[in-house]
Amino acid sequence: MSAPTQQSDATPASDPQAVDLDAQRSLKGLPFWANPRFGLLVVIAALVVVFSSLRSSFLDTGLTLVPMQQDLSVFLVVGLAQLSVLSLGHMNLAVPRMAAISAFAMGWCYQHLSMPLALGLLVGLVVGAAVGALAGWIITATGVNSFIVTLALDFALVGLVSLLYSHVGDGVAFPVHPAGMTTLRNDTFSDYCTGNVCGPPVPLIVLFALAAAVLVAVLFRLSRIGREILMTGSNLTAARLSGIPTSRRVIQAHALSGALAALAGFLLAINSGAFSADIGNSFLLPSFLGPVLGGTLLSGGAVSVLGTLLGATLTEVIQTGLNLLNFSVQDLNIYIGLVLLVALSLDRVRHVLAERRGTRA
Amino acid sequence: MRITRSLRRDRVFVTVAVLTFALVAAGCAKKSGAQTSSASGSGLAASKVKIAFVPGGPHPYFQPWKTAMNTAKTDFGLGGVTFNETSAWDQTKQNNVLQSLAAQGYNSFGVFGVSPDNINSTFQQLEGKGLKVASLGSCPAGTTDSASFCLATDVQTAAYKAAKATIAAMGGSGNLVHLTGNKTDSNTQRRIAGVKKAVAETGGKVKLIQTVTDIDTDLQTAQKAVADLLGAKGKQINGIVSTAYNPAVAAAAAVKKSGLPIKVVAIDDDPTILAGIKSGAIAGTVVQNPVGQAYVGAYALMKLQGGCTMSTPGQTIDSGSFVVDKSNVSTYDTQRQAETTQLKSDFDSKYLSCK
Repeated sequence: MSAPTQQSDATPASDPQAVDLDAQRSLKGLPFWANPRFGLLVVIAALVVVFSSLRSSFLDTGLTLVPMQQDLSVFLVVGLAQLSVLSLGHMNLAVPRMAAISAFAMGWCYQHLSMPLALGLLVGLVVGAAVGALAGWIITATGVNSFIVTLALDFALVGLVSLLYSHVGDGVAFPVHPAGMTTLRNDTFSDYCTGNVCGPPVPLIVLFALAAAVLVAVLFRLSRIGREILMTGSNLTAARLSGIPTSRRVIQAHALSGALAALAGFLLAINSGAFSADIGNSFLLPSFLGPVLGGTLLSGGAVSVLGTLLGATLTEVIQTGLNLLNFSVQDLNIYIGLVLLVALSLDRVRHVLAERRGTRA
Repeated sequence: MRITRSLRRDRVFVTVAVLTFALVAAGCAKKSGAQTSSASGSGLAASKVKIAFVPGGPHPYFQPWKTAMNTAKTDFGLGGVTFNETSAWDQTKQNNVLQSLAAQGYNSFGVFGVSPDNINSTFQQLEGKGLKVASLGSCPAGTTDSASFCLATDVQTAAYKAAKATIAAMGGSGNLVHLTGNKTDSNTQRRIAGVKKAVAETGGKVKLIQTVTDIDTDLQTAQKAVADLLGAKGKQINGIVSTAYNPAVAAAAAVKKSGLPIKVVAIDDDPTILAGIKSGAIAGTVVQNPVGQAYVGAYALMKLQGGCTMSTPGQTIDSGSFVVDKSNVSTYDTQRQAETTQLKSDFDSKYLSCK
């Protein structure tokens, strides 16, 4: 068994990043612009042109482009954390608090054990994966819906994180800055040169997010475990009857989600400068927004890492553009919603037109 | 077979990409002087100084900043001022807002940091780009401040004064409850410490029976928490001190409605709270000085951009707080204006160093 066989109509079938190969073959007749990821790319490019013509500062490297990439790195990884369980048709509402509890573990290690940055990150990833695996184990052992289990877990972790910071931590944050943290926050590749040739103005932390994206893409596209997770999400009974250890795959997908949430917490702590109790508070909605905009199915069985990157980029571009246009607090969220709605409606129109043309062809 | 070939090709591609990156990275060296910073102002005229006031999010406390900054613009001839409250109590969003404003040409910032634990990093980044930053209304946690200065209420002292006023209204003995904001905010921890200090000074005559946190998100949350509190312990409580706005409004209304003989001391001078003092529903309030923070903050930022430096960079300056009760509810603003005038002259005489 090397590829899932069930396919929903909404699956991004012609996308090279989408994992359903059978569907790719069946819809091969569609033009290239029918690819939903291509549509997102066009919308992003159009918005960049609009915003940069209205405000030239939109293309300011130091004040706009570099901070945008830093935020995008965090929200790409947050999106991947949710994508890992969406692959099963599950949800992880505890992504914010998995990030928070892992950030606590990392902060504590840096503060009290003077751990090097990389080792502390490893501890955080293990804690995140363990909490994620616990969620997966509860779901498989009890058969309770992932929505309920992760919601309950999130509530429990809210209290635990607060208690840990009050009793074991140093108030509400660890002020420690392990060696390398400031470099990761401030430096871009343009600060590093080989002779006279310097790198692009891309922040160093982008590398963490790209590495995570490549690993997740490789997992779901090339590895047996990844494809068995997708098969489990596509049709649990069929997967079980095919000999896939579905319970183990559910636990593994949730563990991956927890580890990615931990990485997102680490990246946010690097960006904001402290391992604090409020890490993860803003993660829940963006965790769904990136994957869903990018074409990952809520019902499971199909994921798109490239789509998640483009979905997260779209929201970041809209947010930054509207900030530069000085929208008031009352208007900002309304316009973000409107721009998203218009952008996705146009994308859907384009997709339907493409399908019609493909059918005629 | 086709799928197997495709998977094999993908694996080869990934391996080649990783090896190429590793080879390129191995030959790199860091450029010297990558981060630039300007410690002193560049001698800008007032008309070139553009100041952005960025609170942590929408809150009644910051509304006086709008009037004060426009007065400052006229009085000092500033190039521009703006007020942006779109940070929505999210540090990441606030960082985005600050970067956007800098990209639009604002060169000076008065910032109420969302997260006192993280805000120093934001200040360092802004100051590193040659911009001037004042921490207004709230200082960073810890002992260092990476902004030029912090002009804010000493929240621990303000909470201490509010608790002392409540204890006095209670007659010096009884059970006290403290209502406050986000527990994971280090300012809340300072307020809790201030109230505990005042209670400790009574030598056991006053007992702090409960500290209710995380109820300043909105009025509805505060109303529910206060209703639950009065339902469970209303008859045991002699005094309520609130060091956050929404719980203060909720407590005043709920105590008045219940008819319980509980003394309430609030925070800030929102019209609802002042009306409560006049009607007797609230025993008193601790008033802060947001007008002074914005007006004097703008003045100091203008001076720093003009070439002055702080005598002690990152200095914390108390913008003042005082107790208002029925006796001075009509006249306290005069006292506050005098405090603002004094603050401004203190900057000239003590805090700023101008050649």
